[in-house]
Amino acid sequence: MRIILTILLIINLFSCKKDELGPQCNNCSDDIIIAKAADVVILNEGNFGWGNGSLSYYQSQTNTVSNNVYQQANNNVPLGDVIQSAYQFNNKFYVVANNSSKIEVMNSFTFSNDATITGFNSPRYFLPISVSKAYVSDLYSNSIQVVDLTSNTITGSITTNCWTEQLLLHNDTVYACDMTNDNLLIINPANNSLVDSVKLGVEPNSIVKDKNEKLWIICGGGFQEDNAKLIRFNPQTRSIEATFVFPNINHSPSNLVMNKEGGHLYFLNNNVYRMEISASSLPSSELINNSNNNFYGLGIDPISDEIYVADAIDYVQNGIVFRYSSSGSLIHQFNVGIIPGNFLFIE
Amino acid sequence: MSLVSKILALVVILSCQGFVYAQSFNDTLNLKTVTVTEERILDSYKLTKLDSFATKEAINLSELLNNNSSIFVKNYGASSLSSVSFRGTGASHTSVLWNGVSLNSPMNGQVDFSLFPTLFIDEAEIYHGASGLVNGSGALGGSVALNNITKFDKGFSTVLEQSVGSFSNYTSNAKATYSNKKWFTETQLYYNSNKNNFEFVNISLKEKPLIKQQNANIEQYGIQQAIFRKFKSSKIGIRFWYFNSDRKLPTNMLSVLNNDAIASNEYQLDKSYRAMLEWSGFTSMFNYKVTSTYLKDGLTYNDSISSIHSKNNAEVIDNKLNTSIYLNRKFVIKNTMSLRYEQAIADGFNNNQHRFNNYWLFGINKKIQRLNLSIFNRMMMVGKETQLLAPSLGVMYSLTKNNTLKIKANTAINYNYPTFNDLYWSAGGNENLKPEKAEMVELGISKSISNKITLIENELTGFYSHVYDWIIWLPTSSNIWSPTNLREVENRGLEYSLKLTANYQKLKINLTGNYAYTLSTNRKGKNENDNSVNKQLIYVPYHQANYTLRLSLKQFTLSYNYSFTGERFISTDNNWYMPANFISNVGLSKILNITPKTRLNASFKANNIFNQDYQAIAWRAMPGRNYLFTLSFQFN
Repeated sequence: MRIILTILLIINLFSCKKDELGPQCNNCSDDIIIAKAADVVILNEGNFGWGNGSLSYYQSQTNTVSNNVYQQANNNVPLGDVIQSAYQFNNKFYVVANNSSKIEVMNSFTFSNDATITGFNSPRYFLPISVSKAYVSDLYSNSIQVVDLTSNTITGSITTNCWTEQLLLHNDTVYACDMTNDNLLIINPANNSLVDSVKLGVEPNSIVKDKNEKLWIICGGGFQEDNAKLIRFNPQTRSIEATFVFPNINHSPSNLVMNKEGGHLYFLNNNVYRMEISASSLPSSELINNSNNNFYGLGIDPISDEIYVADAIDYVQNGIVFRYSSSGSLIHQFNVGIIPGNFLFIE
Repeated sequence: MSLVSKILALVVILSCQGFVYAQSFNDTLNLKTVTVTEERILDSYKLTKLDSFATKEAINLSELLNNNSSIFVKNYGASSLSSVSFRGTGASHTSVLWNGVSLNSPMNGQVDFSLFPTLFIDEAEIYHGASGLVNGSGALGGSVALNNITKFDKGFSTVLEQSVGSFSNYTSNAKATYSNKKWFTETQLYYNSNKNNFEFVNISLKEKPLIKQQNANIEQYGIQQAIFRKFKSSKIGIRFWYFNSDRKLPTNMLSVLNNDAIASNEYQLDKSYRAMLEWSGFTSMFNYKVTSTYLKDGLTYNDSISSIHSKNNAEVIDNKLNTSIYLNRKFVIKNTMSLRYEQAIADGFNNNQHRFNNYWLFGINKKIQRLNLSIFNRMMMVGKETQLLAPSLGVMYSLTKNNTLKIKANTAINYNYPTFNDLYWSAGGNENLKPEKAEMVELGISKSISNKITLIENELTGFYSHVYDWIIWLPTSSNIWSPTNLREVENRGLEYSLKLTANYQKLKINLTGNYAYTLSTNRKGKNENDNSVNKQLIYVPYHQANYTLRLSLKQFTLSYNYSFTGERFISTDNNWYMPANFISNVGLSKILNITPKTRLNASFKANNIFNQDYQAIAWRAMPGRNYLFTLSFQFN
């Protein structure tokens, strides 16, 4: 009887352990980060609904990585999930947390939180239009939100009746990918109005601009719905100039990125591909083979043209980033946060 | 140390000083005729019985298991989805049986424990590890059997019960039972509504504000009806169940900044229908039970913002024949044939999916002096797959003549077939999946110590299981999530359970406790960068313990329940973990005898008395201290 009693008391003594609340990290750096140009912020999406999205900070000169830097800089306050995209603008980072329906605004040197923009449904991409105005595309709201950057509040919306994905500003015109109706939406930011739409391929997911001021769009093709397409679009004539069709219906290219100089396109299609903007056909072979990894995110360093590729491994552990030279040889690989999906190269 | 546990400790110490009174300790209510044979066959396995005390004290099934067993309950918050897992296995590796019939959904292989009021069951049994094999396929971790009891010749009795609790929690329950020598009828009605608008500190926000949980309200109601007719050596009857649950699904606490219109977008509607025809009987040589069951589970999920309206309907027709032939008192041949047809209609499938999920269990149980030996084999036919060999061997040896010291050992192989979602979900379903396979071994020792006033039962079990071809979902190269037989998991650990009953004059003491140590290690990775290899599986705590102490004096019963859940990882590389939590609940009840046949039972329960701030699942708010007052009127 006494033995039993003693055991029970010992069990109850567990209650006296130190107070920890919420998820705890075993190996997160506690470095204080001062962000500087030429370094890289890795956006770790985190799992949907798990609250574990995060930012990692990579110093390419010293090959050092610091994980969970937002939480470190903000008194352990989590960032949200799913971290979809980020934008550096006006000494601030605007980080879009899709499932948490918010944008965290933080100091672009210290990562300390300045403001939280709320009231979104399912925000995807942030695009500044002017010092005081930005657009935010959305998965479910059937509109693009107009955000006032002085008050960090939503001040209006542009009805689109679709899932809007990546946004691009060119010559005072905003171009938005319409994932629902497979259009390119053309918006006049002066009066926040939708002025035109042009039919593309199935599910246009990413849009970039080249040095000749032409727009390039990748249409993923949906799940075996149609062949994926890479499209060159002339914004002046608002017409498609060239269409490159991916021959295999199972292929779903994504993550179209342009290098700084504007002459080379990069995209993911299981492997990493590079294509010159003057090329007459899709590249026949990959630049970087995935060697059994699952390439999930892609970024091109604007200074060095180095290639950063992310792999989420099993999507429930810290993912991995491979850094390759512009010619495709591996320079360094390092572990970041959970589900690395995007890169922000600090300017 | 807390004050309450000091007081309780003191009471226990005092009660040890001198017992002079003896009574019968067996307070468990068991079905005599039919199940007694099954129990004997399963002697060599680890089985935990949850008595009627425990069943009645818990509000729902997840609380019952969390507070009284070594099973890990994964609870997404008050009234939210709740699943259980044994010995490091997954939620779909736990088979849940309602009067012998598996309730696991053919779509995802799981059972949501929040859709099961404890008031609808009379008795719960937990079959750990290898013993799960006897109850059907899929039970790689074990199975939970929820049973209703049919007793004849007991006359008329009614229970009317009303509970009022914190956060606008109202439960009404009525049960009317009548039985004579030939007939048994029982009607149970249940209604519960709960706003779950508890306050919690939102530690995910900078200001750490105290805020109210939103969009967690739930409304549930149901009916269970049984009618049985008894004959000379058999009985026949039907059971019917209907349960309806309507709830909102709260977001995690990181999203609560949203305005109301956005945050209240998700809700889930569940409806379940169950009908069972049962015929059972026995002679001195032979006993049998035939059941034919129809199950229908409908789940509607709605998200007004994303315009997702997903309807899922699963139907099962399950026919079982159980026989036991007694060649003599020491030799039994057992036979179970199960013909089960499963069908599912869901927006996620291109076609209606259906298959047969049949098995034939055949085995013997033989007693040779102090040795009790069981050998079983189960053959399965699931869809087009056939598995002829899923054997199990168990031995129990009594080291003492009066059965006070026993050793048990058993080993088994069991399979879990992929679910309809695994096979056919569009897009992603993989029709080439193999069944998950588990090889299990366990060794246990049980010792009971008794004198005139106390009875102490201890059981210590060590287990090892190796699960091959564990199915996980991962994105493919075209970014479509798809399941593969990627994982290989090794589970091993220790389970200790304790039961103590003591009578000191008019004071009755009842103590039950459980402790589990579980190592659950992934052995296979995706590639050389996969850091989940040789790491503990997520949401499997290394340590888990609970105990319930009940003191009854005259008409009063005081109970104290403590449950500890150790650290568990939430990322497969074991970089992130949830801190341990320890929850204490206290209850006090009094029975008032109004007339010899009429009783009023008033009880008061305080849950999470130390107002512990904790999360069972990362960033999901849990209620702090809360109260429940219940008045129960009983007539018999």
